[in-house]
Amino acid sequence: MSIITAAGNSAPGPGLAPGVLEKAKSRRDRRTFLALLAPAILGLVASFVLPLAYMVRMSFNEGGPDGVVEEGFTLRHYIEPLGDSYFWKVTLDTFQMGLVVGVLCVLVSYPVAMFLARSTSKFKGLLTALAIAPLLTSAVVRTYGWMVILGDTGLVNSSLKSMGFITDPLKLTNNMTGVTIGLVEIFMPYAILAMISGFGRLSPQLEEAAGSLGASKFKVFTRVTLPLTLPGVLTAFLMVFVLSVSTFITPRLLGGGAVQVLATEIYDQTTGLLNWPFAAALSVILLVLFGIIISVYQRLTKKIGA
Amino acid sequence: MNNPKLSIVDLTKRYAPGLDPAVDCLSMSVEEGHLVALLGPSGCGKTTTLRMVAGLMDPTSGSIMVDGKDITQTPVHKRGMGMVFQSYALFPHMDVAQNVAFGLQMRKVGSKEQNRRVVEALDLVKLGHLAGRQVKELSGGQQQRIAIARALVVEPTLLLLDEPLSNLDAKLRENMRTEIRSIQQRTGATTLFVTHDQDEALDMADRIAVMNGGIIEQYGAPAEVYERPQTHFVADFIGQANFFASAVVADDGAAADGERSYVVDVDGFGRFGAVGAAGLAGSTHEIVVRPHRLKTSLQQPAGPFIEGVIERVSYTGDSLSLGLRAGGKELLSQMPTASSGIPRLGQTAYLSWDPADAFIIPGTAGIPHGTERPATADALAAQDVA
Repeated sequence: MSIITAAGNSAPGPGLAPGVLEKAKSRRDRRTFLALLAPAILGLVASFVLPLAYMVRMSFNEGGPDGVVEEGFTLRHYIEPLGDSYFWKVTLDTFQMGLVVGVLCVLVSYPVAMFLARSTSKFKGLLTALAIAPLLTSAVVRTYGWMVILGDTGLVNSSLKSMGFITDPLKLTNNMTGVTIGLVEIFMPYAILAMISGFGRLSPQLEEAAGSLGASKFKVFTRVTLPLTLPGVLTAFLMVFVLSVSTFITPRLLGGGAVQVLATEIYDQTTGLLNWPFAAALSVILLVLFGIIISVYQRLTKKIGA
Repeated sequence: MNNPKLSIVDLTKRYAPGLDPAVDCLSMSVEEGHLVALLGPSGCGKTTTLRMVAGLMDPTSGSIMVDGKDITQTPVHKRGMGMVFQSYALFPHMDVAQNVAFGLQMRKVGSKEQNRRVVEALDLVKLGHLAGRQVKELSGGQQQRIAIARALVVEPTLLLLDEPLSNLDAKLRENMRTEIRSIQQRTGATTLFVTHDQDEALDMADRIAVMNGGIIEQYGAPAEVYERPQTHFVADFIGQANFFASAVVADDGAAADGERSYVVDVDGFGRFGAVGAAGLAGSTHEIVVRPHRLKTSLQQPAGPFIEGVIERVSYTGDSLSLGLRAGGKELLSQMPTASSGIPRLGQTAYLSWDPADAFIIPGTAGIPHGTERPATADALAAQDVA
């Protein structure tokens, strides 16, 4: 027995060039690797790549606001909006909304994320779960919730009125204000999660070290805490920005038709005006803009050493 | 006596009401230019004490004074301490020079002066050539030295080191001991040093505060703490020790350094000589004999001796470490390798000591004596704690 074991453990016998076994092994590894990836790749191709290709193709088709789509090749749906001031306004509004929601969401989520990342409480797990629990309800439900709270006879306005601060209700729905409030709250869980995972480099000892070297609390924050949490902040911002720009439900419901952003515009073109080629072209434009933003983000994070 | 650099008065830290205090009414003072080690097992309150001195933690009561000025209420960033953390805590988003310059920037030192002092501090730790490096490119030992440079560059009132060597490998640790000691002596920085490693403390410190359960068991020079332990804990924690419960039978005249020689009756083993403080005759105490002071021979010696059976022999080149059993008690001894043949397991050895090498531990008064079977070391330790 021992002889067989010994032989089995020895180096490849005569006739096998060195490295052959390793190569065979790595070939086998690669095959396993591909086999494991296959379901995900197939799923992505079927549900993402093919529809995307179809959408890009669609954007070059002829078509009009009457729902007629003719196979063809035209750049009309790309060129027309570029000369259309309405399109520019919608695009600018969209990105402005993304920016404002992103910044506000990061601002209100930062302290929460910092607290959860630092907490040594035995309730830390529970508190984290609570912070992200809103994800368990759909954005539609939460948007309706905000409509109830922010409406002309809603909680905020009726409270302020009964306390005598206002006589006429504040306009908090059917405008950008309402959409912004709703989006900030809806995306907070994402921002909190992104920041908690991005706060890894910050150990309390670094802040203590800065303090012992003479940094006031404010200086500790600006020189140590903030720079070290910046990667998490950027990730959270990007995430909320992308989600806000692409979201449709909240701007539609809380905006009440008064807020037009790219997502609602695409929806209207698709379901209302049945102008599929134009809707497809708008979607492609949005996609390209996202691509640009993400590449800028990656360059930024590389620069700050994340 | 000149004024101490640091004095701590009745310092107490209780993490929560009802809990035993982590630091219990601790008082000590540190002389200018000294390196003082806070030595003790984990949980003894040494790091808590250091953090309170640094200002990173508020004491429950008591006060901390530097140069005679009460700084107990001074916030951490106004204390001017130089702290070196166990994890070094170098800022990962700054390079080496920026790390070292941080304290100077906080003090609004001019940029020319900053550069000069950063170079000086890096030269002090012999890492001037690494100024532009990123922190993560440095080895543990280099990070350690940068952390020291960063703490020293601000000319701190006190240098505080929290287990600075525990993250280094054994070889490097030896080098860094000498290095830290020499930097400390060159700069003259009064230093408080937390460690659980008795060798480190004995090697580096001017004074050692041996801590246990939130109090200082003994505070003194390394040799004093080792040779004249005031409690069972100190004798046991620093170096290896053999303990014997003994009745101090009679005063046998003056010994060196104002101490007295005594005749002691060692539980189960007869009468031996020992030294101790004045006025101990008639009491019961533990005496301690260090293994390398326990004379071990394979022939019966002339004077009083303890007969033991060799149970363990470990050969270390220049000496033999022996584990012996004598009357139900385990004893440790050392002997030179070439003296009287190489002892075998199971062989009988004879142990004795010079009276000057046995010390009567003052803090063990009233140890039970006269039982038929000698108590084991563990039982004595339990007694001491109770």
